[in-house]
Amino acid sequence: MPLENRINSDPNAVRNTYHTPMSTTVKKPAGGGESASLGVCMRRVAKHRDKDAFAKLFDHYAPQLRAYSLAHEPGAGLVADELVQEVMIRVWLKAGKYNAGLSSLNTWIFTLARNCRIDHLRRNKRYVTTIDPADIFNDIEDENPGPFQQAQISRIEENIHAGLKELPRGQAEVLTKVYLEGKSHRQASVELELPLGTVKSRVRLALKKLEVLLTR
Amino acid sequence: MTTANHSSPDNHPPDELLIGYSAGSLPLSQALCISAHLEHCNTCQRKLQRLNLVGSALMQQLQPSPTSARLKSSILDQLDNLIEEQTPPPSGTDSSVPRCLRQFIRGGYHNLNWKRVSKDISRIELCRDNNGARVELLKIRPGGAVATHTHLGDEYTVVLEGSFSDEKGLYQRGDFLRRDHNDRHTPVATHDRECICLAVSEGPIQLTGFFSRLLNPFIRRTHAG
Ligand SMILES: [Zn+2]
Repeated sequence: MPLENRINSDPNAVRNTYHTPMSTTVKKPAGGGESASLGVCMRRVAKHRDKDAFAKLFDHYAPQLRAYSLAHEPGAGLVADELVQEVMIRVWLKAGKYNAGLSSLNTWIFTLARNCRIDHLRRNKRYVTTIDPADIFNDIEDENPGPFQQAQISRIEENIHAGLKELPRGQAEVLTKVYLEGKSHRQASVELELPLGTVKSRVRLALKKLEVLLTR
Repeated sequence: MTTANHSSPDNHPPDELLIGYSAGSLPLSQALCISAHLEHCNTCQRKLQRLNLVGSALMQQLQPSPTSARLKSSILDQLDNLIEEQTPPPSGTDSSVPRCLRQFIRGGYHNLNWKRVSKDISRIELCRDNNGARVELLKIRPGGAVATHTHLGDEYTVVLEGSFSDEKGLYQRGDFLRRDHNDRHTPVATHDRECICLAVSEGPIQLTGFFSRLLNPFIRRTHAG
């Protein structure tokens, strides 16, 4: 989709950014100021072990994390509380490892939540394998020099937030199945009663619209 | 670390697998292969970063679910008593082994208990996944060939050392391949050195070469066990 269309169709767009067509800072994802102050909290937790700052992070992220867990296991309140606890404790312990140059705080929290979910599934014997997910996911994301600069990351992030609002319902639905409910394409196709090919192509179309996958 | 820039798109995991990796829905054996590839490939790392941004954005769009004050205070009360578990890297770990595989390979590849399965090939099983997939290392001697085979399930391969070629192309360190039951292939290691691959196979392989056909019942049995 041409960028121009997207800007015009967004009633909340800040009009005075039009003179820089490459600029995609049309609309900040929910509260740009808020995310900046969360970044400050994060630094205070890392540097000063500041519990008040940690409490602010908790207030912001815990309800999101709880919702993420409930999307996967509806009604499982205890599991959701456990995920909140696991993730927030990792935030406290790993604060020093968080590198704002590699990912936004939101994305870092998402990957922690995803890793905790995988770990939880494994510990609860739905996975009986000896493969340790910590070795698969953690190192790569924490330690590798990020190929993207912070500015690029926030630009892509803003594109994604804006794009998600305009996704056709069918595409948004499959993305939700895949990312939030943790379903494979095949499981999504069974639950949505859609052919596997349709699920795959909707996911691809959605990710192309969000400019996450490039059109070949 | 080398980057897999020499590679054609076929030497990278398909998007569907990177999406599953990002979303956390991939079987762990497949995630191992993706992780081993990512260490070598900036292109896929970048794609993964973008995919993680999608997951993060979707999580932020969920209707927040309020947490109890008790949960918050119980977590805050724990903070002072938390000590991060420091797991020192196991001594003697070979830095050429991808990090995700160091849980199975303590020393280098050469300290492993390789089992010879043919004139050209040795293997060692690292573990099994829940879906029954077998995670193993294959070592092909320089110039050695793997018997022509097809797959009853999918097979995922990442080149860890050396290089090999098959009907479709040349694969070097870090390259990722997926073969399914439609593919019939004959991997051959290049002549200069031995080739070590991480291989994940989800069903018994079917050898189609004349002599190796005799081995088929054996292979089926080992997979079932
Ligand atoms: Zn790649």
